[in-house]
Amino acid sequence: MPKFIVYFAQLHEDFRLAELNALSKLENVRVEYDPCNYILESPFLVVEISSAEQAAKLVRRAILIRSIIEYWGSGRTYNDVYAEVRQEQERWALYKTCSFKFTVDAFGKSLTQEEKIRVIDGFSFLGFEGPIRMRGAEAEFFVCEEHDETREERVWFGRIVGTGSRDLIDRFDVKKRKYLGNTTMDAELSLLMANQAQAQNGMFVYDPFVGTGSFLLTCAHFGACTVGSDIDGRQIRGTAGFKRGVDGIRANLAQYNVESRVIDTAVFDASRNPWRPGPLFDAIVTDPPYGVRAGAKRQGRVGGTKGELALRLVDGVASYTRPDYYPPTEPYEMSDVIRDLLALAAEKLVVGGRLVYWLPTVAGEYTAQDVPEHPVLRLVANSEQPFGSWSRRLITMEKIKALDLHEAIVPERDPAHKNFRDRYFSKFEPVEL
Amino acid sequence: MRLITHNMLKCHVKNCDNPDKQFPLRFKGAELEQVEAERNDEFLVRMIPRLDWRALLVTTKELGIELPENIPEEPENDDAFLQALHTAILETHVKEGSMVCNGCSHEYKITKGIPNMLLAEHEI
Repeated sequence: MPKFIVYFAQLHEDFRLAELNALSKLENVRVEYDPCNYILESPFLVVEISSAEQAAKLVRRAILIRSIIEYWGSGRTYNDVYAEVRQEQERWALYKTCSFKFTVDAFGKSLTQEEKIRVIDGFSFLGFEGPIRMRGAEAEFFVCEEHDETREERVWFGRIVGTGSRDLIDRFDVKKRKYLGNTTMDAELSLLMANQAQAQNGMFVYDPFVGTGSFLLTCAHFGACTVGSDIDGRQIRGTAGFKRGVDGIRANLAQYNVESRVIDTAVFDASRNPWRPGPLFDAIVTDPPYGVRAGAKRQGRVGGTKGELALRLVDGVASYTRPDYYPPTEPYEMSDVIRDLLALAAEKLVVGGRLVYWLPTVAGEYTAQDVPEHPVLRLVANSEQPFGSWSRRLITMEKIKALDLHEAIVPERDPAHKNFRDRYFSKFEPVEL
Repeated sequence: MRLITHNMLKCHVKNCDNPDKQFPLRFKGAELEQVEAERNDEFLVRMIPRLDWRALLVTTKELGIELPENIPEEPENDDAFLQALHTAILETHVKEGSMVCNGCSHEYKITKGIPNMLLAEHEI
């Protein structure tokens, strides 16, 4: 199959291949590559795809891919590149008379204007006679020098056939939103999660810890219909904290043109949810509270519920019927949060549906066994965003078969994210056994 | 709250587990608003098997909303059916009011279109 160069953004490196694979499946475009050629420190990866049209389709929604380039040549020196390009002279004729443009870039170094012009002149043997257009050129050629102290230099050359959707990052920038909160996920990662979930037209996506609704927005942007719930109604309604008075999550819907597709939000405890039994959702996309900025809680009372308190008469009516009644909550420990989330996903996802969620982990203690498992959920991706003493991992799981109600998760050891909140505030000092 | 969501919610009070009584929840004092929305046939057709049609008929009759009794053989080709379904489940919003359980009488309040499904301490 023809070769193409994937030109990645050089950040969130651990997430890039996961996104590429998710898009390959979503867009139904087969992409082949040797994983050994993937280098975290490099923005380039050579892949094989059946055609330029398919290559463009593959990356059109990508958040971590800048563009995809039809491979013409690469090597340690420009002469190596020229030699490789000369092997396919028939191809140059296709671009002899059309308008064209050269983009010259360097990674790990900067090139002066003179150097760039010399690079372009070096390709004059291609004999293009058409007009040069800086905007709207019919053929855009790309040259990039890759410099890295730890590796050999490389020069890349080809024709750009498709671009990703990094422009969405600016459009969804949280600073531009009418409503946000201190737990609002940044735009780049919110968009990435929508791709991991393969959010698309026709799908029904749920966020059980919806907060200020970032994932409802990004999944709806890609065509899915979305619903969210949260135990804290104030975050949904926007009646406390940040940007009070703008009507909460609803305030953002018109701005992003997703009013028809953000279906509803509701107030309830994800671990005691009122959904009717059986599969309802095509994807669950969420950032569960780790207990650090947003205290994870669930319905209940520390020390045990005291139902009689709710029934106590106040001014002649039962306490719980009064409009100012707030049911008590208790702390919701991290490993319980995740265990319940997996159980929720196992029951409420349709087969083939995906769970995409963030798992906080403690650096230095994390092992692969910390990622919870479930008999009907298969691990698809696990990408780390490091913060020094801790990390969070974006976990993608796919439901592979119907749930048999007798199957449950049996954890064998305490994962490193157990009691995450206490660990965080004690600076991850080792736990005494 | 749109009717598609209502069609998926049941009462979850402790020991309220008669499936015929806890679902669907009955509206009380419902203030409705019709808001036009972009029709999305792919979504509608995909959701049909996940809806509880019997419950949807009960609810739409309660509220005076039109809905065909039966789902056609090929809903994707039945424009009138899809339009009626779209209007009923995606364009009909319950802004205020409450949902009552026919089993245990718990009332879930709806404020500004957002239902509060939190339980009181003696109900969990």
